[in-house]
Amino acid sequence: MLPLLSRAEKPSRYTGGEWNAVVKEHPRARFCLCFPDLYEIGMSNLGMQILYSEINSHEDLACERCYAPAEDMAALLREAALPLTSLESAIPLKDFDVLGFSVQFELLYTGILYMLDLAGIPFRAADRGEEWPILLAGGPCAVNPEPYADFFDCVVIGEGEGVDVAVLELAAEGREKGWSKREILARASRLTGVYVPSVHKEGEKVVKAVFRDFEHAPYPVRPVVANTEAVHDRAVIELYRGCASGCRFCQAGYYYRPIRERSPEKCAEQAKEIVRNTGHGEIAMCSLSTGDYTGLHALMDGLRGFVHENKVNLSLPSLRLSSFSGDIAQESRRSSLTFAPEAGTQRLRNVINKNVTDEEIDNIARAFEVGYDSVKLYFMLGLPTETDEDIAGIAAICARLRELYYKTRGKRGPNISVSCAVFIPKPCTPFQWEAQISFSEMLRKQNYLRGLLRRIKGVTFSWHGAESSVLEAALARGDRRLSYVIERAYALGAKFDSWSEKFDWEAWQRAFADEGIDMEEYTGEWDTAAELPWDFIDTGVTKRYLLAQRKLAYEGVTTRSCREGCNGCGANKLGRCTIEW
Amino acid sequence: MVILRYSRLGTRRFVSHIDVLRDFARIVRRADIPVAYSGGFNPHALLFFAPPTPVGIGSVAEYVAIDTPLSPEEVMAAFNSAVTEEMRATEAFSTARNPNLAGRICAAEYVFPFAADAYDFSRGLTLDYMKKGERVTESAGDRILSVGEREGRLLLTLACGNVTLRADRVFDALKRELVAAADVSDVMKTEQFIRADVGLLAVKAALAAENAAQVGK
Repeated sequence: MLPLLSRAEKPSRYTGGEWNAVVKEHPRARFCLCFPDLYEIGMSNLGMQILYSEINSHEDLACERCYAPAEDMAALLREAALPLTSLESAIPLKDFDVLGFSVQFELLYTGILYMLDLAGIPFRAADRGEEWPILLAGGPCAVNPEPYADFFDCVVIGEGEGVDVAVLELAAEGREKGWSKREILARASRLTGVYVPSVHKEGEKVVKAVFRDFEHAPYPVRPVVANTEAVHDRAVIELYRGCASGCRFCQAGYYYRPIRERSPEKCAEQAKEIVRNTGHGEIAMCSLSTGDYTGLHALMDGLRGFVHENKVNLSLPSLRLSSFSGDIAQESRRSSLTFAPEAGTQRLRNVINKNVTDEEIDNIARAFEVGYDSVKLYFMLGLPTETDEDIAGIAAICARLRELYYKTRGKRGPNISVSCAVFIPKPCTPFQWEAQISFSEMLRKQNYLRGLLRRIKGVTFSWHGAESSVLEAALARGDRRLSYVIERAYALGAKFDSWSEKFDWEAWQRAFADEGIDMEEYTGEWDTAAELPWDFIDTGVTKRYLLAQRKLAYEGVTTRSCREGCNGCGANKLGRCTIEW
Repeated sequence: MVILRYSRLGTRRFVSHIDVLRDFARIVRRADIPVAYSGGFNPHALLFFAPPTPVGIGSVAEYVAIDTPLSPEEVMAAFNSAVTEEMRATEAFSTARNPNLAGRICAAEYVFPFAADAYDFSRGLTLDYMKKGERVTESAGDRILSVGEREGRLLLTLACGNVTLRADRVFDALKRELVAAADVSDVMKTEQFIRADVGLLAVKAALAAENAAQVGK
């Protein structure tokens, strides 16, 4: 892409040569991590950094990167008849041993085809002979790989650490020993967590890969520093995998079980090392619920001096209301706090098992006391059993916060921003059988809430596009037939679907129609007795447990946090839950 | 105050000025160069840059002033350990006061990928470019301060600072006039100048005249 840079917008997306990027001259085998979205997005992804550093830590293996080029660069590549290449060595993607696509969420599926198209690689695994690299997918969407399984030779279910390297080593050995691709894939299919659509028989179980010794899991203490501003330019430490809360809508909370914590000493040491190796001015803590981390106070103690000395900012995202405490919030120089009550009433929060009580919401007053002036609140619309009363509850929370602010600060007007997503039933959660509310119902509920919030001063309201929520739901619970829809949508011009200004709803509607598939088949309610497309994926959590949780949801009965005692979901058969009880 | 002269070669030439600024905050931190910070809610390192070089254009004459108690030798060594080869510093100076490079630099010299005699500048040069979605046609006028030659190639000194002439726009105009197959990434900034009583002085000479101590070539 180098000769085209002078004509590209934001050319530093395509140059590589970043600080801490690794270039190897003659490795035994080459892996290219492919991210089906722009550089700025992909460079902020922790999973990419973890795998990049892990593969490159093997002296004889090389890992390079490629991000989806923006449309202007894609046009330049086509005009010049040049293929998509990696950042490190400018090698065409088709010349790698293994291409590993990071599939972070459903609206990136067309991004995969976009990159393959630009790389000149046939979309379907069945159409690719010996001369093509092994195409691998991984990431959160591997929880249901069926909609895109036909595009890949194998899919890593669960965590990529260790598994990606094993597949690359097999590819290297295969090339050296003259194995056929089929032979390599047959061997790969025996690795835990590797799903090979062409080898596994229909319905054959694939067990999720779990990196058990999380304390010593490979971690990028020398991450690549983006050339141009990434969404997150900061040192990221991962406190733990999994989540103890058991929110019933949350795919990550179920998929990344068993819960495994990293010690605060290790986290602090990694944070310091990353800052020294990158110069980042901010440390971010990554986990599904940072406030619940057992070692949070110890970690803050361990970083306090360092942060002060090095003028580094400590940021605390994703706090749960119940775990919020003023002293921790005071450490961060943020002016705004973010909480996710998800639902407006206690009743509905019990249904979804978001164990946040009204008293805990009152806890936000403590944040006002220590000087915070603005609060961001995240909610979902269209949750199972939701009524207009629950939606009115969202407005009631906002009114209550204004009142609390007035009481603690003696003046009016905190900034409250309310952000509402639409509930999307996701595989491997207790709500995997639920219907998504209809398109018209989404618009009605959004309008209803907007009307209520307008009456409260200082509240800003934002919501997710209804169309893209419908599509996300359809793709999330999709089966093999949807690969044709994805291909058709791409042919009709759909790409960068997660960017609202690029989202082409008409292309998607036409693609479904052209393939004779009814989108509502995938977004409606599913029979709990029916076979699900992702039933063959063994995430550890049993279907029986999910069904029991679903029943409790309808009864409005909550389930305790895993920290209070084991609830018997089944995930600990894949690795011990390491939390203090 | 330590002033570094550093490069912008290879892929670094495609990094925008705003990204260079962000990058420097990280560089001084990972280089462990102690820097004075501004006060306020979001303290930032006190770094003072010479005028920006357009995206795509290389340079061997970028300047930054760093408010640090270290010696020029120490700063240069630490800096070079924390940047890729394409950005290495080649010279360092120390001055008692902030030299205010952004305010005082008034010209920059560029080598263009055209033969030195390819264009007759006595004809004047018309620039034609898009600015915020609007087409601008204007004369380079007296903002081309001098025309010369280096190793057979065209060497231009362009106004830069309050009155400025962007080298990428000059390149585009020349490329159009000459119908030449060249790329803007082959333009190289080779020096920057400060106005003095005797005329234009290269930054290095200007700093020397102010009793700056120098290390490097």
